[in-house]
Amino acid sequence: MSSLSARLLVSVSVLLLFFFGVTIVVLDSAFRHAGEQARQDILDGQLMSLLAAAEPGEQGVVEMPPDMPEPRFSNIGSGLYAEIRGAQGVMVWRSRSALGLEIPAGVTPQGGDQFFAEEFLADGTPLLTYSIAVNWEFPDGELRPFVFKVAESLDSFNAQLANFRRQLFGWFAAVALIMLLSISILMGRLLRPLRQVEAEIKDIEDGSRATLSDSYPTELQGVARNMNLLVSNERARSDRYRVTLDNLAHSLKTPLAAIRALLAERSKPGFEERANEQIDRMDEIVRYQLRKPAASGAESPVRTRVNIAAELKKLVAGLQKVHHAKAPAIELTVDPQASMRGDSGDFLELAGNLVDNACKWCVARVRVTVAVTDKASGGMRLTVADDGPGIPADAAEALLQRGTRLDESTPGHGIGLAIVKDIAHSYGGELTIAQSDLGGAEITVTIP
Amino acid sequence: MRLLVIEDDNTLRETLAAQLSEAGFAVEQAADGKEGLYFALEYPIDLAIIDLGLPQMSGLEIIRELRKQGKSFPILILTARDRWEDKVGGLDAGADDYVVKPFQFEEVIARVNALVRRSGGWASSEMIAGPVSLDLSRQEVKVNDVAIELTSFEYKIIEYLMVRAGQVISKTELTERLYDQDFERDSNVIEVFVGRLRKKLDPDNSIKPIETLRGRGYRFGLERKQST
Repeated sequence: MSSLSARLLVSVSVLLLFFFGVTIVVLDSAFRHAGEQARQDILDGQLMSLLAAAEPGEQGVVEMPPDMPEPRFSNIGSGLYAEIRGAQGVMVWRSRSALGLEIPAGVTPQGGDQFFAEEFLADGTPLLTYSIAVNWEFPDGELRPFVFKVAESLDSFNAQLANFRRQLFGWFAAVALIMLLSISILMGRLLRPLRQVEAEIKDIEDGSRATLSDSYPTELQGVARNMNLLVSNERARSDRYRVTLDNLAHSLKTPLAAIRALLAERSKPGFEERANEQIDRMDEIVRYQLRKPAASGAESPVRTRVNIAAELKKLVAGLQKVHHAKAPAIELTVDPQASMRGDSGDFLELAGNLVDNACKWCVARVRVTVAVTDKASGGMRLTVADDGPGIPADAAEALLQRGTRLDESTPGHGIGLAIVKDIAHSYGGELTIAQSDLGGAEITVTIP
Repeated sequence: MRLLVIEDDNTLRETLAAQLSEAGFAVEQAADGKEGLYFALEYPIDLAIIDLGLPQMSGLEIIRELRKQGKSFPILILTARDRWEDKVGGLDAGADDYVVKPFQFEEVIARVNALVRRSGGWASSEMIAGPVSLDLSRQEVKVNDVAIELTSFEYKIIEYLMVRAGQVISKTELTERLYDQDFERDSNVIEVFVGRLRKKLDPDNSIKPIETLRGRGYRFGLERKQST
């Protein structure tokens, strides 16, 4: 179930069904009990009036007056019936209303006993009966047993009950329907901002809108803000890619043209060298341009902490393999407080270029140190020193300028430093070149 | 010296293989990762050149698998990805060196020679033992600073023995590592070549560079000179 409103509607429906079900059962049983109690009270009254109307007559039977106080005893098929039986169940008297009906004898109570029972007429009509066994004292002083029994048809009661239930169900169904309807309308209103987000994102995709509007409820403002940040970052990134790609394509055209020109005179001496020169130049262009977008971790909204010590350890282990023949002693010191938030690839790019250069230029020693820039805010200062020939101050300036005007840069080496400088700048940091106490160059990258 | 080149670009692989053959190596070629791993595991290989971006199975996976299976021959990575992240990843997986595309063949051959020397325990760039010196890149052997004229197969034998100076090398190993696949593999031929080699290097039988260990093979027995 992917829709929030569908989820809510289903859950509410289940809850409603449960609560209303319980309520209906409770109400129904209360109503039935009250109804039954009322019936029994009425029947009790009828039986009492029957007993009061009976007179001991001759031949040892009780006699009833021809007109009963309750007219329903006299109307045929009225639904209220009465009968009196003597010993061994012999019929003594029946009310006129029971004419043509056979009221079942049922269980006969013993002397002094009385009880209610539910019985059925021959045609299946349910009856509530009330029987009482009495010993009647006749004038001759003899006691004779009789059973007085009144019965009332439950038809009308059942009809009432059915009607009650119909109304109950009807009302509850109506209430449930109204509740569900209002919930779904409410959900629609609540979810409208989400639909708006969806529509606006679609507009952004189409290009007909630049950012999400700021008219969102408090709960969604954070999402909208982050979304806008993401969108603007993505846009900046794709712009950067476009510019890079554009630069790349255009700067490759010149060496390509040069190679084609060289091909025309391939028989002349030095062709191979000159062609390789052009290929090196193209390679350098590709390397430089490809690294620029990679150095975008600084602007990513999601920045993780680089594990400086682990990355450096891997790097040094790798470089010791590569510079196996020279086997420089690489001394590594990392302050555990130093930190850099960004892309670990960018960090490796910084450190890799610097340490590899140091290994190439050194005589025997390389020192890599990572310290904190600021005790409070952390940051990182990476210093790579070697005991090689070092870099003169004026050459340092030129080295750092490399890559800024790519078309004019001469092929060869030094592009690594330009890349390091670019990455450092993208993190708001800087690169300095100095003289090391080991005797060679000391290059420091500071990332705040 | 038997090399394995795993590279999916046909032009690059075949040209590289041709250049390496010219430089005196027996070369196996594989065009995809799975085939490459199979060759590397099943063939007698002294060094593998592995491209990182391969179909079927990446170069990194091959290197990890080989190291996991205990193969210790040197591995040189060829890669178009030259971010340090990728290079360090390859070296960390177990490679010994890398060359970034586009490379020049001389560069690859120099790296291969360096790795070969390193695998034989030679720290310096020159291999010198007693009066004998060998230059891998020029395929040249000198005795007392006089260059010796050798056929290519004779050179391959002395190179193989001298790189592993001090180790006993069986005739079978020599046949396996030195012949190109389709050659007839007869170990008697090795004896003939070793005999001729001895005569050329040591005509008056005074320095005895190659020892014969009966039933076990040959050993380059002169003491290495370790200099930088």
